[in-house]
Amino acid sequence: MPDRLDPRFDLSFTLNGAPVETATTTATALADLLREGCGGRGTRLACERAVCGACTVLVDGVPRASCSVFAFEVEGCAVQMIEGLENDGELSPVQAAFADNSAFQCGYCTAGMILLTEALLARDPDPDEAAIRDWISSNICRCTGYSLILEAVRDAARRKRETAP
Amino acid sequence: MTEAPLRNIGRPDRRIDAGEKVSGRAVYTTDIDLPGMLHAKVLRSPHGHARIVSIDASAARAMPGVHAVLTRDETAAIPMPVYGYFIKDQPIVATDKVRYEGDIVAAVAAEDEGTANRALAAIRVEYEPQPVVTDLERASDPDAAELFEEPPVGIVPKYGQGASGELRPRRNVCYRFSYETGPADAFDECDHVFEDVFRFSRMHHFHLEPFVCVADWSRKDRIELWTSCQNPFPLRKEIARIFGLAENRIAVRVPYIGGGFGSKNGCKTEPVALALSRLAGRPVRFCLTLEEGFLTNTQHAAILKVKTGVMQDGMLVARKSEILLDSGAYSDGSPLVAEKAGYRIPGPYRYRRIETDCYCVMTNTAPAGPFRGFGGTQTSWACESQIDMIAHRLGIDPYDMRRKNLIDLGEPFVPGESGMDSDLRAGLDLVVRELGYRRRGGLEDDGPVKRGMGLAIGFKDGGGVNKPALARVKVSTGGDIFLQCGTAEIGQGAHTALSAVVAERLGADRSRVRYMPVDTDHTPFDQGTNASSAISVMGQAVDRAALAARAQILDFAAGVLDCPAEELDLADWEIRRGNEAHPLAPMIMGHFGGTGWEFVGEGFHKAENSHAAPLEAPCVFWEIGWGGAQVAVDTETGLVTVEKLFVTGDAGRAIHPLVCRGQDEGAALMGLSQALFERMIYDGSRLVNGDALTYRVPLADDLPEDFRSVTQEQGHGPGPFGAKGMGEGGMLPVASAIANAIHDAVGVRITELPLSPERVLAALAAKDGG
Ligand code: FES
Ligand code: FES
Repeated sequence: MPDRLDPRFDLSFTLNGAPVETATTTATALADLLREGCGGRGTRLACERAVCGACTVLVDGVPRASCSVFAFEVEGCAVQMIEGLENDGELSPVQAAFADNSAFQCGYCTAGMILLTEALLARDPDPDEAAIRDWISSNICRCTGYSLILEAVRDAARRKRETAP
Repeated sequence: MTEAPLRNIGRPDRRIDAGEKVSGRAVYTTDIDLPGMLHAKVLRSPHGHARIVSIDASAARAMPGVHAVLTRDETAAIPMPVYGYFIKDQPIVATDKVRYEGDIVAAVAAEDEGTANRALAAIRVEYEPQPVVTDLERASDPDAAELFEEPPVGIVPKYGQGASGELRPRRNVCYRFSYETGPADAFDECDHVFEDVFRFSRMHHFHLEPFVCVADWSRKDRIELWTSCQNPFPLRKEIARIFGLAENRIAVRVPYIGGGFGSKNGCKTEPVALALSRLAGRPVRFCLTLEEGFLTNTQHAAILKVKTGVMQDGMLVARKSEILLDSGAYSDGSPLVAEKAGYRIPGPYRYRRIETDCYCVMTNTAPAGPFRGFGGTQTSWACESQIDMIAHRLGIDPYDMRRKNLIDLGEPFVPGESGMDSDLRAGLDLVVRELGYRRRGGLEDDGPVKRGMGLAIGFKDGGGVNKPALARVKVSTGGDIFLQCGTAEIGQGAHTALSAVVAERLGADRSRVRYMPVDTDHTPFDQGTNASSAISVMGQAVDRAALAARAQILDFAAGVLDCPAEELDLADWEIRRGNEAHPLAPMIMGHFGGTGWEFVGEGFHKAENSHAAPLEAPCVFWEIGWGGAQVAVDTETGLVTVEKLFVTGDAGRAIHPLVCRGQDEGAALMGLSQALFERMIYDGSRLVNGDALTYRVPLADDLPEDFRSVTQEQGHGPGPFGAKGMGEGGMLPVASAIANAIHDAVGVRITELPLSPERVLAALAAKDGG
């Protein structure tokens, strides 16, 4: 929602691979820009304090809490959100692994967990158990008890390695 | 019924919500956006207890972008501007007093949340602070301040054999539940009587999706409400009562809910949003922050005094308990939690005498309400700690002590109750095997780091009381299946499990079933998604609806084929008769013509009432959580590391194994964090850690190195295919299993949560000193 005290200015970045030209304000959080403006509503807001990671998106491949990143910070960056992971209606291997392992319950943390996993596997295609736990510990899931999420991450790594060219 | 292997039951295939949830397309209430929608924010009390002398909202009303301001002046025109379960004591906005820090004083609807917040800052409120009540044990002292000088409207429900309730039994207590059975002199025959006191901490549910609703009351005689509420029909009734509207004028719609763990029931954001929407004549979105969530609903802190009489050989004889529940400033679900805590405190054991009083003590803190376990977490903590303490005092191994006293399969918990539907010893032995339970002293220590193991059995009556459930199954000409029932998908997997049941009964793949949106205008009545009741209660209604639809289909085909229906079977939308297969679609078109037909099956379930049962209906099923822990206690730092945690529940029949596993493991991790660190910290009436940064919830690296669960399928549940409910049991045994393991490791008994390093060190020092 634009704030009447705050004038708008232009912003350009790429979102899920496609260029975006939009206008925003200095006070707008990236999450709000994505949810209200251009992206879709898959980016979820919970704590809005950069703690829970529900709102995680990838900015130039790095997981960021979009609730606590200003929209203007992504000028010229590549932003990846959950809506951009599917390829022609096909789930990404990470999404498929989360679906097949029932690595979610309420689903509110799921977009963030999946993007976090995408970033981890882009960096380290074969992470060991400690690395997986460490990465997943940057986000909160209140429902699952994490075990099934950890299994989904291992499974996703396996799937990606198997399908890698 | 067909003898063929089941095609939908017990299979770990993708949940029906998987595609939407992993792709980001799932719609929650937070995503609802209506044209012209305004945004609400509320002004909250900075005082724990104060009279409101005056409220001046004129500057806020005059601000551009502000469309409605709600204070006690406006709510005075609302027919019944208070809510609550048994006791209607919570005002939509404060009237004469505020009763906790965070109590809602005024609300604003504006073009955006920023404008609403600026308007709130312009509201002037003059308070006259009053002394606060925060100590559970002193709240009823004659000189304690009173939260309610006048008794709010309330009811005591009808109870059965041995149970009773009372409103306002003493100062600052809104409700008492009592239960007794057996001869009053049973303590006289005991060889030993042990009295112990346990303290239970308070958590917030910390559901990630905030409390949120979108309310549209822009047309005078029609309310449309989208809300993150697990009990849409009771909410509709409450809204009708508050605002004096007919229930058929109110549509409550429940999209996916982003977690609740008990909190998302009853009125939360809805009355404020509706009142604002009526004033503004526009739809209003009211979404709380996570910080406001802490101020809206919490678990009950508790003090549990347990007196147990026992024979020298470890046989339990009698238990008398007094429980004080910290209910916070408004009654919310507290009387219901009191019933359950009071009823469950004996644990799954056989006694000759049980006597319990449970009190809902009002304090100037956030309102407490339903929380996963629903009183059972508090009572399992006390009961399972004390069983171990008694075993040690008598020189009996805690495993043997439990085994000796557990209720048998089929044995009623108390007179008039339904029989135990799990083999409790089988579950305990499973824990012993999986954990590698060894009697005292069997584990290796590591210098100052000592190891120990502990067991516990959590126990609660599951499925709720007075829960009529209706379901409807429709099947179209082409065999597309519509499931209509009021169970909300809050993460527990109910939509998947219920759809699987329907598909199984209709000989179809689960993908043919669509779970229709929950909308009180169209969905058949249901009492709510709570008490682990989805599969055990609604499941029975859904099962009957599916069987009714199936019977109609077979009857129809029998008429067309001119044969008895008993000769026919239904599979893959064909009628099978011996080796013949008759596709249904052409048969239906041939008979009905036009655009075809829909078969509609209705199903109903309600547990029989019985005055012989203490809670007026025998328990639907018993939800049991068995657990075991191995800990390493660092005697120099007091740090407790849980090295192994094993939990197991009995699903009766696991409709979807991964869903069952996720329920037990998620619950167990909540229990683990409550045991070790997670709690709301109050300093007087001020919550000091009510935000995401300072309130610690468990992360993946808090998982014990060895963390496992097993879903038993003992097959005795009342639900379809023998299923029982899940979701709460896994939490119940964890804290006491860890406390018992600490005792096993270092010989100190901690009776207060959390089991923090400070407490362990203090207990060790006291032991050495003594
Ligand atoms: S909502 Fe952004 S980190 Fe929690
Ligand atoms: S699935 Fe609910 S928070 Fe993770």
